[in-house]
Amino acid sequence: MNGIHDLGGMDGLGPINPTKDEPRFKDDWERRMFGLFVSCFAGGHYNVDEFRHAIERMGPAHYLETSYYEHWLASLETLLTEKGVITQEELDARKKHIAMEDA
Amino acid sequence: MPTLTPDIVPGLIATGASARLDEDVAPKFSIGDAVEMKNINPVTHTRLPRYVRGKKGIVERDHGVFAFPDTGAHGLGHKAQHVYSVKFSFRELWGEDHAENMYLYIDMFDDYMRPAP
Amino acid sequence: MPHDHPHPHNKPLSDVELRVKALESILTEKELIDPEAIDLIVETYETKIGPRNGARVVAKAWSDPAYKERLLSDTTAAISELGFSGVQGEDMVVVENTEDVHNIVVCTLCSCYPWPTLGLPPVWYKAAPYRAKVVKDPRGVLDEFGVSLPEETEIRVWDSNAELRYLVLPKRPDGTDGMSEEQLAEIVTRDAMIGTDVLAAH
Repeated sequence: MNGIHDLGGMDGLGPINPTKDEPRFKDDWERRMFGLFVSCFAGGHYNVDEFRHAIERMGPAHYLETSYYEHWLASLETLLTEKGVITQEELDARKKHIAMEDA
Repeated sequence: MPTLTPDIVPGLIATGASARLDEDVAPKFSIGDAVEMKNINPVTHTRLPRYVRGKKGIVERDHGVFAFPDTGAHGLGHKAQHVYSVKFSFRELWGEDHAENMYLYIDMFDDYMRPAP
Repeated sequence: MPHDHPHPHNKPLSDVELRVKALESILTEKELIDPEAIDLIVETYETKIGPRNGARVVAKAWSDPAYKERLLSDTTAAISELGFSGVQGEDMVVVENTEDVHNIVVCTLCSCYPWPTLGLPPVWYKAAPYRAKVVKDPRGVLDEFGVSLPEETEIRVWDSNAELRYLVLPKRPDGTDGMSEEQLAEIVTRDAMIGTDVLAAH
């Protein structure tokens, strides 16, 4: 698809901001997200092409404004709900529950 | 497939999951061939980026037989085929004002290419 | 007593944190994942897998001509000899920098990167500006990294869009003749193995 992910040759996206070294993960949720991706892949819930395509289907503005591991989160939510492994209602309800416990 | 448990993790990480396929598929192109990338615009998944579509390059290396992502992303099977490293000049990709000693190499599947006219 | 140090319970969980926690909690309940496996995966990539692995490959190639030949001709097997193999390094290609040629690696469509040798990619490698620019203006990109190459140096940019993963074999810097393999590994930077750094003479 001619999506926002197909970035080669685009101009005006701003500075690269190189770093010499950096922590592997900048937040604990990134750690969990990384492990979730590997676990669900190993569990056979999707292949890498489906995983990439689900990232490509993110809204273009959302894609550019969010980090790499948030792309992974969006992809997993899309694929696992599309394949019927979990439902959006389950996710919403659990989110609400966790937020309440956290307050 | 079984749920990933800690005992499986080290072996999984050390082995991975290669997309290379042990299938006897004849290559459609040979090293040194002049090729043109097809101008395709599927609304589905593809690993043929816009910036090389319709551009001419040279086959530099045959990597062997791999699963085709364009079908794999949509439950349409492996469609095993050769992947090649294809070399393009920056002048071909971006215009004559680019230096002549700059090249782009990208891995292209049989289905992305045709012989250069 | 003021409680001013950052503490997770001082601020409510963000939307992203809630979504990740919800996902992990439901999948755990369904027994589709094991949180202890996630702990081990994270620990492995935080402590065992990183650019020091790739630096050892480079140092050995600089020190042992027979190894370098294997590395360039039978790359995946040669890297496995040192114990680096697996996820996102299943099919490796090494490209060699020389006096006349400089190689740079990118993945314009996503963030493909050779995990067993370089670890997980830095943020800039995965972000839009690098992916967009390096295939069209690599010298401009090198400039942002503080690297300048002579005009006569041939530049080769490798877009790793399929399932091959690329590692740059940097040019061995001048003044390193007497160094041991271990010492050489110390001077190899992550960015030199991506191609956005050139190692300084010693």
